[in-house]
Amino acid sequence: MSVSGWFRISGRSPFSLAFSLHRITGIILLIYLCMHLTYLTSLTDKTGQTYEKLISTTISPTFLPFDILLVLCGLYHGINGLRLIVHEFGFAYEQRRAILAMSVVIALAVWIYASYVMYKIVVGG
Amino acid sequence: MVEFRIRRFNGEETYWQSYEVPVKKGMTVLEGLLYIKENLDSTLAFRYSCRMAVCGSCAMKINGKPRLACETQIAALKSDRITIEPLDNFVVIKDLVTDFEGFFKKHEKVKPYLIRDDISYEKPVELIQTPAELKAYYDFTLCLKCGACYSVCPAASTRDILGPAAITAAYRFCMDSRDRGGDERVDIIISDDGAWRCHFAAECSEVCPKQINPAKAVQKMRVKAAIRSIKKIFRW
Amino acid sequence: MREEVTPAKRVLEPLAWLLQMISGAVLAVLITVHFYVTHMTSHEAIRYHEVIERLSSTGYKAMYVALLFFVTFHAFNGLRAIVLDTNFGARNRGAVNTITMLLFIITFIYGLYLLIII
Repeated sequence: MSVSGWFRISGRSPFSLAFSLHRITGIILLIYLCMHLTYLTSLTDKTGQTYEKLISTTISPTFLPFDILLVLCGLYHGINGLRLIVHEFGFAYEQRRAILAMSVVIALAVWIYASYVMYKIVVGG
Repeated sequence: MVEFRIRRFNGEETYWQSYEVPVKKGMTVLEGLLYIKENLDSTLAFRYSCRMAVCGSCAMKINGKPRLACETQIAALKSDRITIEPLDNFVVIKDLVTDFEGFFKKHEKVKPYLIRDDISYEKPVELIQTPAELKAYYDFTLCLKCGACYSVCPAASTRDILGPAAITAAYRFCMDSRDRGGDERVDIIISDDGAWRCHFAAECSEVCPKQINPAKAVQKMRVKAAIRSIKKIFRW
Repeated sequence: MREEVTPAKRVLEPLAWLLQMISGAVLAVLITVHFYVTHMTSHEAIRYHEVIERLSSTGYKAMYVALLFFVTFHAFNGLRAIVLDTNFGARNRGAVNTITMLLFIITFIYGLYLLIII
């Protein structure tokens, strides 16, 4: 009985894939939360030097792909989460396929827009 | 001719074995298995009974998805190779036969019978129910206890849980207007292996051969149980 | 064997589930606001002086306290649910509940500490 059972998708419907992605993105975001709070500790240096040094490394074209992937994780987890809230409170089972499709489309659309804005800000042009 | 590729287990090792089965139009997977047993290999073990999708005995993984072998037509699979495996999340006894003891015990645990305190055998009273009251739970009475839902539940793949079938049975009785045992079942549902282990992967609803939507029953049962538990706190 | 739950403990699991749903919905809004302000306005938005300016405003500070509370609860309660989904979690329920909730409290307090001293 290993946790690979949470990520079994062959022979399964899109709902299983949605669950597996929700779980993986949740774990990624938890790790990111801990990293983010550690990162923000640099703000305790009142000169601002430690913090500025960190952001000059991490807010850069090199790190941009990771940021964009992180945004995808966050968007997917959030929007899929809203879908789960609707169903877990007892609503709209009959429309679950449509709602899943809509959630994925919205997440992708917002992601593409957000990535574009971030790209313009970091890379410029 | 179609190849039946079967994952077998002899008590010690798991191995794959293939058989060539002559297929006629309308032939089901169960008929294919019976052909193998009668003509090619009598040691192949599998469960079946009614042959008409009402008993739930022949649930197995066919081409990656749990189905009833008796109602799955070979032609409908549109493949020259039919891969057959025992249900996931169950202990395999032999070949396609899995241990259902635990599954039935969980069903028993949720008290799947009408609970009333006014049952009298000396003066029996008819329990009246309107068609609307029947409709509220009817779908959930159709469960065959085939185990397909439990086999695809991701929570059941990592620990022992009550599972969609048992919780659906609990919901069926809680929604029955003749029943007075809601409180007793809530205690079982809110236990650690109950409704909280569901995270709405909803695969159970996709594979249920009777399309009774166990995912819906689990969510509604969870909400019911949560409201009841929270209300009880305010009654102190 | 079903273990007996005391009446008080009985309500913690439904409340945790409810709060997970509520915090999820709240976070959908707060994270969007946080992300928009820090990443979608200008490159200057995350420079040190801009961050400090935001943290000096009561409105932003209140938002950050709320965000911190809901995100740490949602994350560690989520972790708790994931670990309880395993056999290890089933055997060590009390320890898993205690440790994950302690992690939530510690992380929340640390975040509060940062908000206060920055």
